Amino acid sequence: MMSIMQLQLIPCLWLIEVEGRLDQSQTPELEKILKQLQNDPQCSIIVDFSQATYINSGGLRCLLTSSRLAKSQGGDVVLCGLKARITEIFDMVGLNHVFTIYSTRGEAVDHFDSLQSDAPTGNSG
Amino acid sequence: MGEENVLNVAGRYDQIRTIIKFVTAGGEAAGLDEKALFHLELCCDEASTNIIEHAYGAEDVGPIIVSFQAQNEAFVVTFLDHGRPFNPEDVAEPTYYDDLSDSNIGEFLDQMKVGGLGIHFMRRLMDEVHYNFDLKKGNELTLVKYIPERGV
Repeated sequence: MMSIMQLQLIPCLWLIEVEGRLDQSQTPELEKILKQLQNDPQCSIIVDFSQATYINSGGLRCLLTSSRLAKSQGGDVVLCGLKARITEIFDMVGLNHVFTIYSTRGEAVDHFDSLQSDAPTGNSG
Repeated sequence: MGEENVLNVAGRYDQIRTIIKFVTAGGEAAGLDEKALFHLELCCDEASTNIIEHAYGAEDVGPIIVSFQAQNEAFVVTFLDHGRPFNPEDVAEPTYYDDLSDSNIGEFLDQMKVGGLGIHFMRRLMDEVHYNFDLKKGNELTLVKYIPERGV
């Protein structure tokens, strides 16, 4: 079973949940969604891997390309919920140094929450 | 020496799962553990993808012929294709692993495009990787995973 779901958590913050295998069967779809979301230049994205069981080099390349674009536009792509096997693949290539990786979705959301509350919004009091 | 099992499929992305299932079923029967099977899965995926993308240059150009043999101490998988010579030994290791960062990530992505990352996985996760090109047979890539000694 596999699917990719997207959900807007707050303005400029999206959650993408990848289920099953991030290989040639799903990567083109993920690539399309990421590109679409990144039309909004400062948009940040949390990719939740807790339901993902596999990733190959094509999946890694897609995430890296998206992360690079996000950072150049002032946004970010962070990951969460990686299983041990997937973590092993990220570590093997050093991608654990490139991505901010959270254990859970909650921690990833908290990270952006804290950024929001630190930002001068003008209506926060 | 064990019997050789052969699978011949079209060089298409949708055939990669078939290849993976074929090889990992053989690996499991040969005594590879779950971790080794996961490594085998990734390497078969990368080898097949490289054949489609680099040896053939597109889908449906030619077949991928996969065979495996369980020998006493090793599980040996061979990929054959009739595409352009694609020698993994000619593909440089991606340069940055320990210090991959925003400054060198572009260079790293370029290296990934030529199949470099898949080859890196094979070198790291398999015990042996061999390549041979023959005008008649085409590209022959051999992946070897040692089988741990079984308890008596």
